[in-house]
Amino acid sequence: MKGLFWAFLLAAGLTLVVGNPAQAQERSATRQGFELAPNSGKKILVFRPSISVGAQSTGGLFEPNGDWTDKARTNLQAALEKAQASLGNAVIAAPEAYGDDAQTLQEHLQLFAAVSDAVIKYQFFVGNRLPTKKRDNKHAVFDWSLGKGVADLPGAKDADYGLFLFTRDAYGSTGRKVLQVLAAFGPGLAVKSGQHEGYAGLVDLRTGDLLWLNADAAMGGDVRDAEGSEKRIHQLLEDFPGSTPPKAQPQGPAQAKP
Amino acid sequence: MIRRSTWWAAAAGLLLAGPAAAQPAALPPPYQGAYQPHGVDEIGLWHEADEEERQLAASPLRIRDERLTGYVTSVLCATVGDDRCGSVRVYVIRAPMFNASMTPNGTMRVYSGLLLRLRNEAELATVLGHEFGHYERRHTLAAFKERRSGTDAVAWMALLTSLGASYQTMQNFQNFQLAVYGGFFRHGRDQEREADKLGIAYLNRSSLRPQSATVVWQHMMAEAEASASAKGLKKPNFRYIAFAASHPPYAERAAYLAELAAPDGADRDDGTERYRAALAPFLAQFLDDQIKLNDFGASEYLIQNLATAGWTATLWLKRGDLYRTRGAPRDLAAAADFYAHAVQLDPTLAEAHRGLGLSLMKTGRPSEAVAPLQTYLRLRPDAVDAGMIQTIIPGGPQ
Amino acid sequence: MTRHRTLRRMLAFAAIAALPLPANAHKLAEKGTPVTIADSTLSVTPTRDWNRLSGRIGAHAERWTLDGEQLNDVTFYAGVAPGEPLLRERSKKKDPLPKFRQDMLLAEVPELLERTYRTGRDARDFQLSGAAPGKFLGRDGVTFAYQVTDSEGLIRKGEARAAAVNGKLYLVTFDAPRLHYFDQVVDDARALMGSATL
Repeated sequence: MKGLFWAFLLAAGLTLVVGNPAQAQERSATRQGFELAPNSGKKILVFRPSISVGAQSTGGLFEPNGDWTDKARTNLQAALEKAQASLGNAVIAAPEAYGDDAQTLQEHLQLFAAVSDAVIKYQFFVGNRLPTKKRDNKHAVFDWSLGKGVADLPGAKDADYGLFLFTRDAYGSTGRKVLQVLAAFGPGLAVKSGQHEGYAGLVDLRTGDLLWLNADAAMGGDVRDAEGSEKRIHQLLEDFPGSTPPKAQPQGPAQAKP
Repeated sequence: MIRRSTWWAAAAGLLLAGPAAAQPAALPPPYQGAYQPHGVDEIGLWHEADEEERQLAASPLRIRDERLTGYVTSVLCATVGDDRCGSVRVYVIRAPMFNASMTPNGTMRVYSGLLLRLRNEAELATVLGHEFGHYERRHTLAAFKERRSGTDAVAWMALLTSLGASYQTMQNFQNFQLAVYGGFFRHGRDQEREADKLGIAYLNRSSLRPQSATVVWQHMMAEAEASASAKGLKKPNFRYIAFAASHPPYAERAAYLAELAAPDGADRDDGTERYRAALAPFLAQFLDDQIKLNDFGASEYLIQNLATAGWTATLWLKRGDLYRTRGAPRDLAAAADFYAHAVQLDPTLAEAHRGLGLSLMKTGRPSEAVAPLQTYLRLRPDAVDAGMIQTIIPGGPQ
Repeated sequence: MTRHRTLRRMLAFAAIAALPLPANAHKLAEKGTPVTIADSTLSVTPTRDWNRLSGRIGAHAERWTLDGEQLNDVTFYAGVAPGEPLLRERSKKKDPLPKFRQDMLLAEVPELLERTYRTGRDARDFQLSGAAPGKFLGRDGVTFAYQVTDSEGLIRKGEARAAAVNGKLYLVTFDAPRLHYFDQVVDDARALMGSATL
């Protein structure tokens, strides 16, 4: 029964403040040697992004909002096009897939989810790294792939890279915000208002190699308006190869950003 | 496929009948026309369901068979009426549990384990009508709103508790939280009751036999009992409501569904023949998915239940597999017997010869095992395990 | 059905930011160095470096991987005694897993694995694609191949070897998504399986 209570508390996003040191965690990584030079004119195929926007009730429940989700879909697409255009890349939305194509695409999306899951679990959580990966990291190797099958996905012929996007936003309701403020006065209860998580991954459409992955559980930018969406896209594409002037790579797990 | 001319006649008859003892379910509300979501919450829920449906449509677990899907859809339409069923998309899912569900946007999921367990069209109509009842009454939305106001209250209580945390306030908070969550589950069970009542109302009005509704839950109780007994667990209590139970107990459902069934519907067709014909091409696979779940009691119950319509080679074969894989010495002797029945009914059923040979081998009759194993290889020279079976034929591979 | 469920869980976990340090970090199995599996008498000599995942999924089981068990998973079941399941049971009474039996034929080992995957791992489809005699641990054993679909809808291919020695079952499986990962690692996995001795 005790477990049940904890489950409820967690479900409501209420955590008792404990002195546990947070473990080192990274948010993004890039494949060694991958660079996207500015104005290289590459075409990026965007697979139907998984976008979900809603509110967070006082009790922490996710309240999906269709209108916000539609707006976010449009805004993010526009922001993405703008961001990539400024880098000299073109963004193409993947065509709707039917029949066998839809199933193949679905299987690749499942595989991408499994790969991202493995990267987050065994790469981004530094303390949980696999020994062979630790050694790879010393040589700045970040080596994961979806395989050559991606070349046959609908739309892949006409593009160089494939981009997977996932965002889920829950904006704190007024009640939630008030709860958060009041809780800050009391001891022992932490209330998080709003939840903004996202991840994005870029794949080479010839080899299937994962070129870059970014996963963040605390993202900024209000996807419900155009300006906020641009900020979100910037953050999602933070460290996107070619998005910033090349910096000198330090020693150690060089490509991973702490 | 299903005669609907009797529909309104049956409904009219029902109004006149009015039995003294039991009161059949009230008629379903008049159809409101194609529904579109209203308000932020509902539109949001539909949106999520639309995205899920995209994935469902391309899932490898979906059984892409037009005839089976078409059959289930036709039973739904015969139950709730053509006007209502037009808003529904049916998906048959490969999953060995007794389950069906419906999302607010009109996606109906029907699990293969459900189809395996039902015996006729009227029972299928019972479940489909129930799910449609949830949909028509927009239960997902109501449950969502209930959950939101409840969790809101819990959050406020948690805050107040944390401000003055003593043992007593903690205790009070836990009691409060328990009451709120108990309320969700109770609300959920009330929704199930409402959906049951709406389901039986559709059935009363249809051309199918409403007395079949209660039979669904009678069988569920018998299966649960058989499952528990084979595992050495005590007999389940079908009247007890667990704190977190999502549905009313089986016994309660069986009782009120029996009471609400229109008495004059008792002579109607239950569509057993049509149901069996539609399921026939899938029976072997659905049964195979079940017997491999290591739930001996439930599987044996289901096989026996299917066999009331007559033993077939497939039923004997699967029963043989069930006993052979449990594998106690008496099971192996029984399995050999069951496979022998299967072979007798269908001498070309290769797997039955295989099972017979393996069972005989394990019961210390290797010389008798040779012939059936050789027959298996003759019937299936390209069997995936041909090489392995060769090695256990005494004398080894030729 | 929802492919993001696991990831969401991971991200939610990250948000709480109190991931406890793993009790035992994953160990490295170095190329050419013999390793004893799950405190048994089974040992293997890898032909390339592998990771030994911490945490036991069964009393005699040990899991090896290159990129994470989602993507390539070699699991050793080293000496399963009659009456024992392959994986740890969630509930011995209510959800028992199939058990290895003394009189089980090698030809029936694929069925044991299938039933274990369906009950213990919620597999929805399991197709045996081959089963043939093959040497394992220097004994006559069985080599088999299969394809399995999990409840999320990801399709994996698998290959396994098994033999019974002194009444105990020794089984090793290699599972990986059929897209890319299976073919990429199957040769290394076969070499690893082939190096097993008692």
